[in-house]
Amino acid sequence: MRSFLWNTLLVCLALTSSTTLAVTPAAEVRKSLVRITVTSQDANYKVPWVPGNIGGGVGAGFVIDGQRILTNAHVISNARFISVEKDNDPHKYVAHVQFVGHDCDLAVLKIEEADSFFKGTVALQFGGIPEIESTVTVYGYPIGGERMSVTNGIVSRIDFQTYTHSGIDSHLTIQTSAPINPGNSGGPVLQEGKVIGVAFQGYSGDVAQNTGYMIPTPVVLRFLKDIEDGHYDKYMDLSVTTFNLQNPAMRSALGLKDDDTGVFVSQVASAGCSAGVLKVGDVLLSIDGHSIASDAFVDLDGQRVQMAEIVERKFKGDDVKLHILRDKKEMDVTVNLNAAWPYNMQANAYDVRPRYVLFGGLLFQPLNRDFIGANGIDNLRVRYFYDYFIENEIYREHPEVIVLSGILPDQINSYLGGFKDTIVDEVNGVKIKTLDDLAAALAKPSEQYVIKTIGTGRPIVLERQAVEAARQRIMSRYNVLSEQNLSEAVN
Amino acid sequence: MSISQIQKHTSPGRAFSLFTILLFSLASLCAAKETPAKATVTTADKPVQVVRVNVTNQAYDFIRPWSKKAPFSRHALGSVLADNRVLVTAELVANANYVELEKAASGEKTVATVEVVDYEANLAILKPADDKFLNGIKPLELTEAHVGDHVSVWQLEDTGALLGTAGLVTNVEVSRYPIDDSALLVYQITSSLQYRDSSFTVPVVKDNKLIGILMRYDARTQNVDLIPTPVVQHFLTDAAKKEYRGFPRSGIVFSPMRDPQLRRYVGLKSDETGGVYVTDVKKHGPGDKAGLQAGDVLLAIGDKAIDQDGDYVDPKYGKIALANLISTGNYDGDVVKFKIFRKGVTSVVDVTVAYRPVDDYVIEPYTIGRPPKYFVLGGLVLQELTGQYLKEWGAEWYKKAPQSFVYMDEFQSELFPEGHKKVVFLSQVLPSTATIGYEDLNSLVISKINDIPLNSLADVDRAVKNPVNGFHKIEFEESPTVIYLDAKQVEAESADLMKSYGLPALKRIE
Repeated sequence: MRSFLWNTLLVCLALTSSTTLAVTPAAEVRKSLVRITVTSQDANYKVPWVPGNIGGGVGAGFVIDGQRILTNAHVISNARFISVEKDNDPHKYVAHVQFVGHDCDLAVLKIEEADSFFKGTVALQFGGIPEIESTVTVYGYPIGGERMSVTNGIVSRIDFQTYTHSGIDSHLTIQTSAPINPGNSGGPVLQEGKVIGVAFQGYSGDVAQNTGYMIPTPVVLRFLKDIEDGHYDKYMDLSVTTFNLQNPAMRSALGLKDDDTGVFVSQVASAGCSAGVLKVGDVLLSIDGHSIASDAFVDLDGQRVQMAEIVERKFKGDDVKLHILRDKKEMDVTVNLNAAWPYNMQANAYDVRPRYVLFGGLLFQPLNRDFIGANGIDNLRVRYFYDYFIENEIYREHPEVIVLSGILPDQINSYLGGFKDTIVDEVNGVKIKTLDDLAAALAKPSEQYVIKTIGTGRPIVLERQAVEAARQRIMSRYNVLSEQNLSEAVN
Repeated sequence: MSISQIQKHTSPGRAFSLFTILLFSLASLCAAKETPAKATVTTADKPVQVVRVNVTNQAYDFIRPWSKKAPFSRHALGSVLADNRVLVTAELVANANYVELEKAASGEKTVATVEVVDYEANLAILKPADDKFLNGIKPLELTEAHVGDHVSVWQLEDTGALLGTAGLVTNVEVSRYPIDDSALLVYQITSSLQYRDSSFTVPVVKDNKLIGILMRYDARTQNVDLIPTPVVQHFLTDAAKKEYRGFPRSGIVFSPMRDPQLRRYVGLKSDETGGVYVTDVKKHGPGDKAGLQAGDVLLAIGDKAIDQDGDYVDPKYGKIALANLISTGNYDGDVVKFKIFRKGVTSVVDVTVAYRPVDDYVIEPYTIGRPPKYFVLGGLVLQELTGQYLKEWGAEWYKKAPQSFVYMDEFQSELFPEGHKKVVFLSQVLPSTATIGYEDLNSLVISKINDIPLNSLADVDRAVKNPVNGFHKIEFEESPTVIYLDAKQVEAESADLMKSYGLPALKRIE
């Protein structure tokens, strides 16, 4: 049974063709639009040694230069097999993912039989950001039939929006009134023959109507440029929290003029690019020469956009020049975007295998969004460690939060039921900061393993002999395929 | 912190709210209406040893701490005791505005006052304004009950005649009381109760002697939990003293110790069959003062051996959780002998058990009968964090209230081991000219005002008297880290602020 790919709501559609046509009729778009059929296997975070369920779906994509197909990341996530079809061609072509950006929900595919596949196709060209209220056309293979579908509507809004594929990234997004439905995902949105967006998400009809979303070309072109060096480096971020400076007393206390400019730096993440450059209490006055309004907006290309958009368009290694006020003195500082934010535990993960350690029937897993999704943790401490991981810099002590997530009942752990959903603090006196730390501590020969978990007061004690005696018994009773997996790699 | 296996709301399901789960609700009695009433007898000839108690309650609104919520009334029965006193549950008179007693048959009424109340033991003594009002009513005597005893639940017919419903005592155990963190002895009986007016806090008797007051009733299982004689007796004995103190605690938390690997780890010999593992000792609490430590094994309290689950054998009731031994078996200031095992050595430690007053908590588990404190500074509403504030989010408060606050409440002894402070926070902003740009700030812990660290709202009152360069500087533990108000503007606009939001006062810090 095929399902149509759809994020919270998502869509895919088709594209059109040549650079010369003022208006692209559907017949021309057929030369560029492709239908992508994916068989995927999602990870199982509840029973992590089990290969996940096999599923799949249909999405859209389109031909771009360099004999490449562009589509959404969510169309091909966790894919085990991908086939691509063109209109008016019965052949199914095998495809592979060449680049994927889960933070921007875009992917580039390569086709195995490229020469025969791309014969007669037309690579679509990209346009800019369309005007509000202008008409756009959406192409794809949405639910409701097998063949290409075309819908149109107007540009309703251009704004930052969360990309539901990762769940934590926000980028520029264009909202359209054109119907965008499951199966439209990855399809092109055209205006005057040029791609002005990639359809990707929407709301289900009982939430909101005629609100489809597309990824606009600044995001698409950034992705394509990022991968030019053969590697996707992800989005860069200043990793600071700012507070709007709209209060006159606050402006005056900080020594600012009454000119509605500047935002207050209220937090600087110690693991981010700005650590050591910006300080809490600084006022950001301008970014790369763009004056920052007191509500954190800047003027960019004639549009009023969030200040973050300046950084959004940059790449790893680029500099951000900031004019700031520190201790009532103006100065210039430069933040080098040297690395992407390292902690993604609150983001959906794809194309990875769950990591875990099983010891004495006790299952240990790192805390992350997929883990929470699979296990639905109610435990307040675990929820707190998850929710405040970034904000309260829990990562400094726990780069990974290791949770005793399950117990496979056995005589060795009969009295340990109360420890489910507790967080590991140390093993035999060694602080546990990552799953690798835990695996190493438990692999070290010892007469007994004393595991301390946070806030429980009493330790878990497992005697070596008992652990050894239980090993095979537990593995065969519960059909455990492997006692641990420390690597995310799928293959 | 009580010496109890039941740790403070370790799961949302356990987080009872005083005013929701545990009420002997009229609604649940309605459901019992259809049960055949074979065991029910109206006994017109029996002396009526109860009075009707009509109470109007009105709680403070902790979200708008300057106002009260809508009043509501409850109708209950009070057990008449010696010396012109009436016994009811504390729940009945929580935040009571008005209490009156009404004679069952004549309907004659008098105003009453709450003389002593213990919200943790859920008991209160009422005193009629007219000291002759109870003349002619025979006071109830107390007696203890045991599993298997046949008892009678007393209600009143509209006529004032006594209605007795038979019940059977099925269990005696330590169980949760309405206040979080409070666990004391209960009698459990099974009885199929019917709906009658005034069915809150009804008495249960054996041979016409009081064995307890109904605390909760489950119409589906027909289980009744009573506040039992030993708890009532403890309360009355304490109440007769010059100053009422309440049920004492030892300030330790323990975990059962059945795991043989753990027993060998701490060095217990295999012939030692009992003992529990002390997981936490409340700093500056009775156990801490006596030198108890986390990791100690508690083997006995007084002459009672403690088993691996934390139970002792009670001569009257059999196996009972050790919390009962400390709380109901002792009074504030009593010295109790704890036999402990530490690093191969067994010793006996004298622990002076003590009542822990509610204001000793950093985040008070309940605030009843006292108005919430607040301080409005130019539209910023500052409060001290309390359990009562969190419960304003309703039955699901544990999940719906601001999660960093729920976390702070749950783990307060870990986060604030020294105690002796309150958490001052910005609960909301009343938009005004002075607070433009701050409208969306809420649920933020305030660390300092005008460079003065805050341990209570009283500190706020002192701090705002000294603005820094004409500004009130308000610092938070998290983003936005700091905001400023113009001190002169705050002063000048305060009258308008009070007027437009209907604030009776800008602060209540006592």
